Formats: sequence, structure tokens, C-alpha cells
Amino acid sequence: MSCIKIQKPYRMKNNIRVERAIKNITQEDLAKKVKVSRQTINAMEANKYVPSTVLALKIARVFNKSVEDVFVLEKSD
Amino acid sequence: MSYKLLLPNKYKKAGWMILIPSLVIGILKIIMDFEPVWLNGKVLSIFPSGFNRQRYFNIVSVNLTNTIIGVFFILGALLVGFTKEKNEDEFIAGIRLSSLLWAVFVNYALLLVAFIFIYDTAFLDVMMYNMFTVLLIFIVRFNYVLYKNSKAIPDEK
Repeated sequence: MSCIKIQKPYRMKNNIRVERAIKNITQEDLAKKVKVSRQTINAMEANKYVPSTVLALKIARVFNKSVEDVFVLEKSD
Repeated sequence: MSYKLLLPNKYKKAGWMILIPSLVIGILKIIMDFEPVWLNGKVLSIFPSGFNRQRYFNIVSVNLTNTIIGVFFILGALLVGFTKEKNEDEFIAGIRLSSLLWAVFVNYALLLVAFIFIYDTAFLDVMMYNMFTVLLIFIVRFNYVLYKNSKAIPDEK
């Protein structure tokens, strides 16, 4: 049985707000494009919600970026 | 995340319209303990009662106040709790699940306290309320978190 051991807790950050500003779209616009509620976009921007892989892929596609350009894994303090 | 177990959003309003009156009447019933005579009726009882030793599948005369309040409360609460939100998505599904878990924890914590500190016939009351508290706590917590998240939409640009 393989087991992944994570030594330090990681957290995910994202550049959704920045990318939105570049593309000049609102939370509402982005929410509609990826078919989620505006609260979800807001919660992600506030780093209060980690999206599913599907949603992350969809968001990256809206911005024409790869997922890792938008979502970044960081070591938390 | 699959939402197959949730009813369409259109039933939510009906759910609230059933839940709120039955909750209010239920609380009034607890406070004033009324049993209107016009709610006396004969119903099918499938299980023998311990008090007057009836048979299985018997027609019994009872007052239906509790039955009606309970049935409407459960129906209303199920509709409110398990219909989709207008914009149901994975985030809201997560809140729903965590609220359910939270409700079960809180409910059983309260029940545990009641088990230890409440005895005799008073415990019958605890059992009665406990039939409804899981759903009630779930609905309150779920809607509170939803409300908090809809409020917290800051510096939109």
C-alpha cells in the first residue's frame, strides 16, 4: 500500500482576482462562465474554498492559462 | 459531486410554507398543550400500544394534533433541507455536507447531556424534541453559513 506523507501542511493560493482584473470581468461574469455561484468565486478569492479539480480546470481555461498559473500550492506557516 | 439526491429548487418555497407554520404551531403546542376535540379521530395503528394492550393493525381513537404537526414539520423540513439552492454548485454542496455533519454532532452532544442529566418522564420530552432537532439544527446552520457567504462579497471589481 502506498501512502503519501505530507510533512508540512500545504495551502492553495490563487490569482483569480488578478486574472479577473486582467481580463476585466466581474466575479459574476466568471461565475456564469464556469457555472457556479458568485459566492464560490468569492470564497475562492478569499482563500476560504479550495475548488474541485474540474472547477480549477474550467477557471484556468477561461483565463487561457494552465491550472498551475492560476492555482499555486504553498507551504503554510 | 452529484446532486441527484436533491429535489429541484422550486419545492423550496413550498417547504418553507409548510415548515414555518408547523414549527410555530408545534412550539405553541409545547407551551399551551392544546388538543382540540375536532382533531379526535380514528386511525390505523400498526403496532400494539404498551398502555392499553391493543393488537397489531388495529383501529384506534386518538387525538391527531401531534401527528399532524409532526408530519407537516418533517415534510417541510425535508423539503427545505434537501432541495437545491438556486445556484447549487460544489461549494454549496460542501456547505450542505458540513452542516449535516455539524448538525449530527451538535444533536448528539445535546442528547448525551440530556441522557446524563434528565431522567424519568422528563426524558420522554427529550426524546420527542430529539426527533426533530437534527433537521432543525441542519437547516439553521446551513442557511446561516449561506447567508454569511452571500454577505461577505467585498471589494468587487
